[in-house]
Amino acid sequence: MKRKVSSIALNALLLILGVVTVYPFVWMIFSSFKENQEIMALEQHLLPQKFIIDNYINMNAHFNFVRFFLNSIVITVVITLIVIYTSTICGFVLSKYKFKGRNILFGFVLSTMMIPWCVTIIPKYSMIQAFGWMDSYKALIIPAMFSGFGIFMMKQHISALPDEILEAARIDGANEFYIFHKIVLPMSKNGIFSIAIFQFLWTWEDFLWPYLVITNKDKQLLAVGLKMFNGQYSTDYGALFAATAISIIPVLLIYLFFQKQFIAGIAASAVKG
Amino acid sequence: MFKKTNPLQSKSEIILRNIVVLAMVIFFTVFLIVPIGIAFAGSFHEWNPLSGTYRFLGLENYKEVFTSALFGKSMLNTVIFSAVVIFFRVGLGLGIAYAIYSTLIKYKSFFRAVYYMPVVTPMVAVAFVWKFMYNPQIGTINQIFGLDVNWLMNPKTALLAIMIMTIWKDFGYAVVMYMAGLYSLPTDALEAAKVDGANAWQTFRYITLPLLKPMTLFVIITSIISYLQAYVQILIMTEGGPGTATYLASYIIYDEAFVKYNFGYASALSFVLFVITAVFTWLSFRVSGTED
Amino acid sequence: MKKRVFAAVVAAAMVVTAFTGCGSTGSSAGSDSKSEAKAEVPTEPFGDTVKYDPSVELNDGKDITVELWEWGSDELFQQIIDGYTAIHPNVTINLVDNPWEDYWTKLPLALDGNNGPAIFNVHNSYHENLINYMAPLDIPTEDLEADFNGVSAHVIDGKVYYIDYGMMTGSVYYNKDMWEKAGLTDDDIPKTWDEMIEVAKKLTIKDGDKIVQAGLNFNDDFHQNYLLGLNYQLGENLFKEDGVTPNVNSDAMKKVMQMLVDMYDVDGIGSKDFGEKAADSFGQGQSAMVIQWGHYYNTLKTTWSNIDFGVFEIPTFDGEPYAYNRYNGESTFGVNKNAPADQQAVAQDFVKYFLANDDAQIAFNLAMSTFPAKKSLADNEKILENPSLKVLSEHIDHYIWPGPMPATVETSLKKAGEDVFFNGVDIDTALDEAEANITKDMKNSTFKSVENLYEYAK
Repeated sequence: MKRKVSSIALNALLLILGVVTVYPFVWMIFSSFKENQEIMALEQHLLPQKFIIDNYINMNAHFNFVRFFLNSIVITVVITLIVIYTSTICGFVLSKYKFKGRNILFGFVLSTMMIPWCVTIIPKYSMIQAFGWMDSYKALIIPAMFSGFGIFMMKQHISALPDEILEAARIDGANEFYIFHKIVLPMSKNGIFSIAIFQFLWTWEDFLWPYLVITNKDKQLLAVGLKMFNGQYSTDYGALFAATAISIIPVLLIYLFFQKQFIAGIAASAVKG
Repeated sequence: MFKKTNPLQSKSEIILRNIVVLAMVIFFTVFLIVPIGIAFAGSFHEWNPLSGTYRFLGLENYKEVFTSALFGKSMLNTVIFSAVVIFFRVGLGLGIAYAIYSTLIKYKSFFRAVYYMPVVTPMVAVAFVWKFMYNPQIGTINQIFGLDVNWLMNPKTALLAIMIMTIWKDFGYAVVMYMAGLYSLPTDALEAAKVDGANAWQTFRYITLPLLKPMTLFVIITSIISYLQAYVQILIMTEGGPGTATYLASYIIYDEAFVKYNFGYASALSFVLFVITAVFTWLSFRVSGTED
Repeated sequence: MKKRVFAAVVAAAMVVTAFTGCGSTGSSAGSDSKSEAKAEVPTEPFGDTVKYDPSVELNDGKDITVELWEWGSDELFQQIIDGYTAIHPNVTINLVDNPWEDYWTKLPLALDGNNGPAIFNVHNSYHENLINYMAPLDIPTEDLEADFNGVSAHVIDGKVYYIDYGMMTGSVYYNKDMWEKAGLTDDDIPKTWDEMIEVAKKLTIKDGDKIVQAGLNFNDDFHQNYLLGLNYQLGENLFKEDGVTPNVNSDAMKKVMQMLVDMYDVDGIGSKDFGEKAADSFGQGQSAMVIQWGHYYNTLKTTWSNIDFGVFEIPTFDGEPYAYNRYNGESTFGVNKNAPADQQAVAQDFVKYFLANDDAQIAFNLAMSTFPAKKSLADNEKILENPSLKVLSEHIDHYIWPGPMPATVETSLKKAGEDVFFNGVDIDTALDEAEANITKDMKNSTFKSVENLYEYAK
């Protein structure tokens, strides 16, 4: 009986918190079907009083939405896959191998995350320009191939893998490439899904860098398009909310979808035995 | 140099290690050390890359950083902001993750999804939405609670309002991280505690919490790094106002670099902030007792 | 795992394609109808002193492509590009639309390299970062001066790199329904600030102590619409005689700030906590009057279409101001001096086409709600149909431009005002601090005020 009461109370609490979490979100979605006048109106209603879909339709007037969207998907998936691989292999080397300078290297990787992007973005831009990578996806992909965060995260995860498993494989005659690809990589699912979720989100949201290096309209990314609604004298809220609503769909999907994998990955993980 | 020093080291280990280390060193040198080095050199100059100004100033920029009352104030704001937001992020994250993890909750994946939604929404859109919610005349918050507070323009509430918004946006991240941590806990330790007659609180306090320590450390460190660099919410919601009440260190850096184009001064600020971030990160490692 | 990722990506893509499918057909239909209504292609030279001769062939008739960058007005620019390329079918102009804020980071960086656009839209607040990359216009300065107002302020070492096509400044917008309800008529339109306050009192509605309708609202833009402008009414410039020392902690500025404080605290015609932004509050039907710059006319027309509003000239202290207000120019386009010579030639020609073409001048001025700098358009019917431009026409020569001020002037005064209104700082201290800030931020600036070029300068 006591258990039932606390279950109901806890469920109710989480539900209330859930409502608080979702409300601003719902507000944004409903607002994306309103005229700006109604979004800012003195009389506020959650539901659109005059339901319009112009905010969605007009998006194409400013940029080729589908094109930008697909470009973003491709670039984000490519970068995420590369970062997953590089982070896992670096994390493996940094956590399971002992060598001179290991801690210095790791400390350095960690510290690269602490420099505000503001001051390095211009030098980075000049370099990309010098390499002749402007207006090419090289400028987006190559500087993003390694991630300090990803390496940090994977080092933490892989160091928790028991050495005995690796040793057993080594005794069976497996070389390190085999061990990494066939044992470490599959056993790091948990960490991989986490960095996948984060890396996807960051690459998907990143605005300034793609804007600076890409000018060609056929190559531009979605995050740049979203900024178009923030004008010189006013913000087109309805359009901004509409574009945001659509743009987070893939990120949400990736998350919802990984969430299942996440649990399965842990259940199947060899950590337990 | 690559002689076998350790009998366990195989040839393939050395090859793999060398490839990976070399790739990392090359990558980080080209895309981080070089730009950071350029910025560091720039911090001793009057530097505006957009108009092409580059004039040696010596330590002038750093002197200005340490004598600037605004930077002092914004650093204090930053520390308060980060401490409060991290505290709630960790507390809410752990509490909610533990609740969802417990057998008392039925629709686990539903809750996990709900709490994660703000995390995936771009900060720009979130900040605009919350700016509406804080509006003194039409905002949801005043309407629901029957208040008459000018949240973002009152120096007493402005930073608080931004902290609440940031907690809302980010606690889902901690929930997910802790969920991952909880699911990978060794079940035998928990069962052993049960057999020994520990109650739910004791199990949590003496078994679960210590086992989650690496995750807590991870959440805290990534939070320190990201909150010391937070500025988008300030840019959209208050522009540092009223007056300078909500200035955060990174907002000044953004403002100096991309509004005033004082890249030299912005770089000096960045390196000071970098040292502060590194100190806090090191402290977190120390306090947690992890040597690394 | 890869299979799953792929599945998710495909699913996401399908959702979006399905969603926007109808959208793209809708908008392409729209652009078709636009291209049908093509104007006639002129063959005879047109223009006043600056003339454009459409019969002169460009680039020896060979095909050439140039890029034009601008922010937020792609339709407006496409119109003039279409007009131009109809005359010169061998020229292709690729329009690149940019987000306003970040344009100013990307543009100078691009101009510094070899992938910058040949033509770019300019805003004078970013003058210092752009001027080094601009080529002087190859139109004689006298010709420009003959056709346009305010050219002299743009002369640098005898050369002109860009001028203003329009002048933007502030006027009072009032809600006609509220005006009527308060029993006011056209005769009550105030000429002085004292009259303005009296009118505002009548327009203010309170429920006990709580304001329900503000007579006047200047929240969030007092710095731009009052502090940086009314000083001229009192005969003080924003910069001292050397043209570089800010004159912010002046008697005039203190008087203006005190007037603002009194309007809320003594006269009670509004409140710092009522209506977060004056411009929105007026649109929401909460505030009866606001002072806004020309662009507000368009905001009212598009966003707040249900507000019945009128416009009148900004009040003065004594009816005979040194200048009514500060104005700022909307600039003509810049020509990239690092672009290949053939592209620069097209860019120069395009600017000339823009300056000589009255239709383009009118279209741009109406789109921005700016008063035309082109002298021959000052009494143009289409221009005067816009009420926010009509109220300016009488005294347009009595508006002053301080030059392309660095942004710190505005932001420092905004901070000062917020300190006074919200943080309990006294006016003297706040303005002192603002002056110190501006001085500090401008220490490396090459800005020099052009207030001495004002027609009625003392």
